[in-house]
Amino acid sequence: MQDFVSISLVYLGIYALSTLSLNLQYGYAGIINFGWIAFQAVGAYIAAVTSLGPASPSGFQHYILGARLAFPLPLVLGTLAGAALALVLGGLILTRRIRRDFQAIIMLIVAIIAAQVVIATVGLFNGANGLSGVPKPFNGVFHLSYHGYQWFYVGWMAVLCIVVYAGQEWLCRTSWGRALRAMREDDVLAGYAGINIQALRVVVFVLGGAIAGFSGALLVEFLGTWSPDAWSFVETFVVFVAVYVGGRGNNFGAIIGAFLVPVVIGTMPSFLPQFGYPGLTANLEWIVIALAWLIIFYLRPVGILPERRHIATRSRVSARVNATTT
Amino acid sequence: MRERAPGTTSEALRRVAVSAAPASQNERTSLRPVSNHPAVLEVGDLRVSYGGVPAVDGVSLSVARGEIVGLIGPNGAGKSSVLNAITGDVRPAAGSIQFAGRDVTKLPIHRRARLGMARTSQTARVFEGLTVFESLVTFARGAEGASLTRTLLQRGRRLQEEQAAELVWEMLDRHGFAHIADLYGRELSGGQRRFVDLAMAQIRSPKLLLLDEPMVGITAAILPGLMSALREAAERSVGILMVEHALDLVAELCDRVIVMVEGRIIVSGTYEAIAEDVEVRRAYLT
Repeated sequence: MQDFVSISLVYLGIYALSTLSLNLQYGYAGIINFGWIAFQAVGAYIAAVTSLGPASPSGFQHYILGARLAFPLPLVLGTLAGAALALVLGGLILTRRIRRDFQAIIMLIVAIIAAQVVIATVGLFNGANGLSGVPKPFNGVFHLSYHGYQWFYVGWMAVLCIVVYAGQEWLCRTSWGRALRAMREDDVLAGYAGINIQALRVVVFVLGGAIAGFSGALLVEFLGTWSPDAWSFVETFVVFVAVYVGGRGNNFGAIIGAFLVPVVIGTMPSFLPQFGYPGLTANLEWIVIALAWLIIFYLRPVGILPERRHIATRSRVSARVNATTT
Repeated sequence: MRERAPGTTSEALRRVAVSAAPASQNERTSLRPVSNHPAVLEVGDLRVSYGGVPAVDGVSLSVARGEIVGLIGPNGAGKSSVLNAITGDVRPAAGSIQFAGRDVTKLPIHRRARLGMARTSQTARVFEGLTVFESLVTFARGAEGASLTRTLLQRGRRLQEEQAAELVWEMLDRHGFAHIADLYGRELSGGQRRFVDLAMAQIRSPKLLLLDEPMVGITAAILPGLMSALREAAERSVGILMVEHALDLVAELCDRVIVMVEGRIIVSGTYEAIAEDVEVRRAYLT
């Protein structure tokens, strides 16, 4: 039970970062990133290969960029990998005059192709078998018990989530966040305001990609393993459902969605007794998550915590001016 | 409360045309600004086509600082396409666009906006999910407000936000729209949308205002205020190019009128002159 709770809390942290990333790209900026999982995956792979050490030709794992870098470098490189992939894809896709839905489909296709390339090219990240034995940060430093380490990681995740949430929330409340929402609502009109839409899209896409890469790096450091099974494209839709359920354009809502959808609703079928063919109860996870999406669309399309209305307040100067003119 | 609708246009055009007499050749070819001020906009031999079908066919026009120019013509004449090409919404197939002494033909929309070009849209385009206050502040801050590095590094960020907010409150108070500051774009009435659309275009004190049917959806109560706002803008040396179907308003507001038919300018001059032009008469009556 202790294991279940601590693992669930780590997953909550990972999904919270995931939904924050997608909420920034989609909830605030209106970029439909159906290839989101590829950014988490690249962060996980880079963090793994830069902490596993050089690959041995006679070893059971074959991968590129093998190095044994000290903490927190693998985490930083994983984050940068997510950002770099976003910069390349964003530069190629988001700066073109392509409709948003077509952009989304292109990203989905890129994510599917990327998974197939990784599976087919064993020398890249060990193919379908994936990477294992990724060292856990701090494990040899504090000499913690198994459970102690699990709870330590929960605390570590909580600190990182609070930092990312606070930073993102602050940014979204600035004029930059307002420009993102303006772009989401009407990118041509935002252009009339003098805003360089292509540049803004790429910048927010890179920031979201960095957070996705960061979440992937943290996940692989916790699990110690990463394979193409972990990043099938349906994972993207779980994060999308979480953002929808929590409330698009609301960072706290995104975290609520991360708690409700993948952590609570997604794990519910695992408590059911086995029935039907083997694996049926596990597959129910996707059905339950899809149902949650449909129900929220029907009952509360804006999500549990919708974007808050930004009420304008007069500064002391303008209030004084107004008082003298009325 | 009378709503102005495009339906009134044909009637007005008909009235003008029926009472018209042939115009002189000099008036018909007068495409230069009548104002003594220098031209803020000069369009030369502009051509726009959609899928090979020409919408604008060799249009040349200019607008001086402080001049209000009306661009009229029947539906499908290419008026909005001219405006869209000037703002960068569509790429012209040929021709040149000089704005404030600079060739902007190949510049993207935001670069033209930064140079002082502003526009309103036929449908009174507003940010549906932003409040009126946020929408106006977004325009007041412009590119500076959308820069991540400036947001992260600039010390005077709060001051600039406050100055922009002051500007917005001042505009809302002046026009009696302070009560809609916290309404989302999607919650506005037609007239309020029209006001916000125009206010967004004006808040950064542009050099050129491009107005696409600004009077549509405007009630009789708001109309005088809107017209005086446009006159005030012109007095501040803002050049205005206005597509409008309501000819009585064009007659009242515009220093000069350009008539387009089937992608071409058929006549240009004062309202009185074009009202007497035989081609205008033919275009609107046939």
